[in-house]
Amino acid sequence: MVTKTKRALALILTGMMAATALAGCGQTSPNVTPSASTPAASGSTSTSDGESQQGASDVAVTDIEDAGTIETLKSAMADEASANGGTIKLEVWCSSDDGKFEKTLVKSFKEKYNDSRYKFDISVKTSYGEDKAGSKIMESPKDGADVFNFADDQLSTLVQGKAIAEIGQLFQGNVKANNTEDSVAVCSIDGTAYAFPKTSDNGYFMYYDKRVFKTEEDVAELDKMIETANAAGKNVFISLGNGWYNAGFYFAAGCTISYDSATKKQTASFNTPEGLNAAKAMCHVSQKVGSGFMGSAGQSGENATVQQGFSDGTMAAAVIGTWMGPAIKKAIGEENVGAAKLPTALIGDQQVQLHSFGGYKIVGVNAFTKFPIAAQTLAYYLTNADSQKARYAERGLIPTNKAAVESDEIKNDPALKAINDQKPYAHAQGQSVSSKFWSANVGGFGGDIVTAKGNMSDADLQKGLQDLVTQIESE
Amino acid sequence: MDYLDYVQMTTGQKIGYKISSFFGGIIPAIGTLFRIIGAFFKSLFSLIGNGFKGYGYRFANGDAGTKLSYIIMGAGSLMHRQVGKGLLFLAAEVAYFMFMANFGMTYLTKIYSTNVTMSDYPNMIFNGVIGSEAPIKEKDMLTGVPKIVNVDTVDDSNRILLFFILTVLVSIAFFAIYITNTKSAYASYEVLKEGKKPIGTIDELKMFLDERFHVTLLAIPVVLLLLFTVLPILFTICIAFTNYDIDHQPPGNLYWWVGFANFADVFYSNPMKSETFGKILVWTLVWAVFATFTNYIFGIILALLINKKEIKFKGFWRTMFVITAAVPQFVTLLIMRLLLGETTGLNVLWGTSYPFLTDANWARVTVIVVNMWVGIPYTMLISSGLLMNIPEDLYESARIDGANAFQQFTKITFPYIFFVTTPYLITTFVGNINNFNVIFFLTGGGPSPASYYKAGQTDLLVTWLYKLTVNTSDFNLAAVIGIFVFVICACGSLITFNMSKASKNEEEFS
Amino acid sequence: MTKMTAQSSNSKQASYAAQRKLTNTVIYIILSVMVVIWIFPIFWLVIQSLRGEEGISTSYFFPKQWTLDNYVRLFVEYDENGVALPMDEMTYPYGQWILNTFIVAIVSCVISTLIILMVSYTFSRLRFKSRKTFLNLGLILGMFPGFMSMAATYNIMEIFGLKQSLVGLMIVYSAGAGLGYQVSKGFFDTIPRSLDEAAKIDGATRNQIFWQIILPLSKPIIVYTALTTFIGPWGDYIFVSYFMKANQSNFTVALGLYSMLDPEHITEYFTTFCAGAVLIAIPITILFIIMQRYYVAGVTGGAVKG
Repeated sequence: MVTKTKRALALILTGMMAATALAGCGQTSPNVTPSASTPAASGSTSTSDGESQQGASDVAVTDIEDAGTIETLKSAMADEASANGGTIKLEVWCSSDDGKFEKTLVKSFKEKYNDSRYKFDISVKTSYGEDKAGSKIMESPKDGADVFNFADDQLSTLVQGKAIAEIGQLFQGNVKANNTEDSVAVCSIDGTAYAFPKTSDNGYFMYYDKRVFKTEEDVAELDKMIETANAAGKNVFISLGNGWYNAGFYFAAGCTISYDSATKKQTASFNTPEGLNAAKAMCHVSQKVGSGFMGSAGQSGENATVQQGFSDGTMAAAVIGTWMGPAIKKAIGEENVGAAKLPTALIGDQQVQLHSFGGYKIVGVNAFTKFPIAAQTLAYYLTNADSQKARYAERGLIPTNKAAVESDEIKNDPALKAINDQKPYAHAQGQSVSSKFWSANVGGFGGDIVTAKGNMSDADLQKGLQDLVTQIESE
Repeated sequence: MDYLDYVQMTTGQKIGYKISSFFGGIIPAIGTLFRIIGAFFKSLFSLIGNGFKGYGYRFANGDAGTKLSYIIMGAGSLMHRQVGKGLLFLAAEVAYFMFMANFGMTYLTKIYSTNVTMSDYPNMIFNGVIGSEAPIKEKDMLTGVPKIVNVDTVDDSNRILLFFILTVLVSIAFFAIYITNTKSAYASYEVLKEGKKPIGTIDELKMFLDERFHVTLLAIPVVLLLLFTVLPILFTICIAFTNYDIDHQPPGNLYWWVGFANFADVFYSNPMKSETFGKILVWTLVWAVFATFTNYIFGIILALLINKKEIKFKGFWRTMFVITAAVPQFVTLLIMRLLLGETTGLNVLWGTSYPFLTDANWARVTVIVVNMWVGIPYTMLISSGLLMNIPEDLYESARIDGANAFQQFTKITFPYIFFVTTPYLITTFVGNINNFNVIFFLTGGGPSPASYYKAGQTDLLVTWLYKLTVNTSDFNLAAVIGIFVFVICACGSLITFNMSKASKNEEEFS
Repeated sequence: MTKMTAQSSNSKQASYAAQRKLTNTVIYIILSVMVVIWIFPIFWLVIQSLRGEEGISTSYFFPKQWTLDNYVRLFVEYDENGVALPMDEMTYPYGQWILNTFIVAIVSCVISTLIILMVSYTFSRLRFKSRKTFLNLGLILGMFPGFMSMAATYNIMEIFGLKQSLVGLMIVYSAGAGLGYQVSKGFFDTIPRSLDEAAKIDGATRNQIFWQIILPLSKPIIVYTALTTFIGPWGDYIFVSYFMKANQSNFTVALGLYSMLDPEHITEYFTTFCAGAVLIAIPITILFIIMQRYYVAGVTGGAVKG
């Protein structure tokens, strides 16, 4: 039984490979008969030279939805289940906002792959959302979820800690063929694919209240926006106390951030004249704190602050992402919500378009899962075209799936337009930052500027920036 | 100096005395700390020494059974007609050797592997790695999930270190049993020589309810402490000498011994880490002083107000304050955090944005004030109890001498309470150094400027330790800080211990 | 103030009485102000738990809508079809957390109390060779910051297969109890040793003395120890948060309530958090008020000797 399914899977794979040029690339023929119980044998198809040859670049597309493949996957899952008492026990981590929706997906997954040979026991846990999942998995990989949603900037740390599984051959081609190029790229490191792209909106842009800012010109320049908002007795909110949001200033000023996964070295050129310009620009807007500008979310976090601000009418515009779209619409009415790229800010002596971090939310499979095939199938299912469309309909999150992106409804989404406008200025975070960047107090420095209302001397700023760099680049 | 000498001093002298005895106590306390640790090891070694004392003598003078028990445990007891006991000893020996053969030896050898080759750390010179083979993974092409190819030989540094310590502990225990075995064999031989019958197993077991009752009572607590307190502490102390951090985290990677490098980092060699450490240490001490004395002084004043003779509804007042103390701390502190947040609670209510918790100076004051709110009811409760104990005739004679209320307070009440509660005060001081809750729930250690290494301006050593463990996986640094906090607390506790009469009574008692 | 002038005794009496009255009035005012400050946050908590509007804070003090829904929401959650969800599918299974904490608290209370009594009795009454070594060791161990070895404890529990389990939590809470013997040892020290001597002459073993003579005399300290060990798990956050990771169905109340304040959910669940906090605060407060005199005796019992 065990051998049979393995052989079937292997056959699919062989067929797949025959269809591509890869077949002749020195791959060991996969039709040896492995048994699932010995780990050495199940690595049957992998050889060191095979590993170097194959990447995310040239893989065949298998139709995972076709009945034969589904049947083969079921058999493979049955093997995994029989080795673990007949039950496929999986844990999924997602953010608590997504909890309900992901649960419905899991439910339909169970129906689709239902089989008499095994039972599903899949729990969806919402304690660790995309922001925390990576670090929580790293804290103790063996205890982490089998399938977890996370932000692409955590990928390098997870790969480094060997806590995340590579994407199976079976799924790789499919994922690559059906998702946008950028989204596939952020899921790979050094040519190896590690995750399934889920949404393309893990970046930020600006939501604003159309009653305050009537035309697009009103939202073009940060200083003007602050004046307008102040006149209306409201605030413009950019969370300078958070390293993810304030990085836009550094990028706009010309700083770079990079991470070398081979030497595990994180760098950030903040201690340069450009960095000082960025810090001064933050000082400049922070001088308006309390009169039209709000720069810190305090401990309740950006999301709660934005929701609170729009609900009680103290906020006119906020730099935030799609996940707050529904809440803002609810607070001020859908017709009043506008979305745009970030405004320009006074950096150096001129108005410069603010940059941003742009990223993807992606789904990974734990390297220590007991049910690799089931987990990968679930991860695939959570991110396939239908799920992405449903997610957009339900949660307003922008898909990465090509077909989904092309649909009219999504094309005309104002948030997507804003994201696309911001795109030239958005920096991919996946390969440029590691956890070392986030655990340095990048946000704390911005927070200091806000608290001081921008009254900081150049020397103070210089020292702060130097400290930041020391911390970011520390071993 | 006893209480009578003490009351005869002026207030200034009294406070001076207290302060000088507190700070004067620090240096001797450090000495005493090392003395106690030394004494502990001395007693440990003397226990071992006692075991050896007569080790040779017993062997030379014992009979064949005694001699045999040096190799085969329990042989002496068996030959001296103590079958039950003999079998137990024998079982212990068999069990130990089976344990070592199947389990212990592996970890003794793996704890310090040299010349290991690890694909992940090319060109690295290793100086004692915990474990010899990191997992080598190859992916399964079908699923992409990495499979460990060397599954039978793969090592997990955590597990090896833990089991190593466990093996050492078990060996120490076995050694103690072994010595007991030789002693017991010799003792029963002597009894036989005198022509008496050695004590039977049943009678010997009965001793555990009487002469050896302490063994019975302490057995379970000691085993639990060894497993869940001593073992983890030893483990953590070892971690301070390794490079266990985010880049060397099992099960994916191994970590290895680095000697005192982490201590050097924290204390002087890494400017950012050592400066952060210095700043946090200073703030920890400042916080502890303020948190302790504000609570203490205002608590006593509150108790005096409530307990003033003419004040009615004493029970009501007291209960009102006790309610605050009784609500679980994490609830009251979280409520305070939301009340004082920059965008929540009072600031929304008033339409303001005071940075109670987000500006370093504000935050430092806020945590101390909130700590007063949390702590004053406790001090009030305790000093209320003490106030009842002050002999009424002291006040009586003071009144006859024409002292007014204020004088009575400075001359009688305060000195009495201060004298009596000094140990409590110092315990509270040590408690405040470790006061995790107030800081963690209120500010989370923030605000965090760039110059602090993974910490914030209201972080105490212990909250920094927590962050390093939980958020940034700097386990090695966290362990160093843990050891340092231990040293501070130990000094504080020893001052209490030395100053409190209770300990002196205890000495006389034993 | 200290001047004693030669006034007529009458007017002195009168002014003295007036002054006293003034002092008392001032004290009443101070006490009232303080009570308001001390009770205000608690009062605010209760008010928020009855608020009908969503959100963390409102710009007005009293809610515009009063409701008990927040309390109901702790125990019942409906799915989109209006069917009540089973406990393990709820977003925040508060009932489950209460039950968890209660079980853990009861078990660790019983075990810890026994352990503490055993250890403190041994060190107070029995004399044996290595007693000093043990006392010193206890002293040294007690000085390590409690959660320094959190990660190691977790690894050990993993080996026993008890990580993220309630049983593991009970063991950890009870295992450290052996170090908390000081207060009850102080109590045992005050029981006259002549009682033991008399019993010994009557032929009682130390075992019998412990159970039949000392324990019956120790009710206050047993109550104190039991109450403190029972209350412990209700307030612990640090260890349990590291120990339970994402295993939400095994959370204790403290951890669960804290998770409601997650930035993602705080606006929706803040009032529910308040309701949950009020619900557990009530029994704990009552227990503490009952316990306060033992608490004072326990703490000052050590202090008075100083």
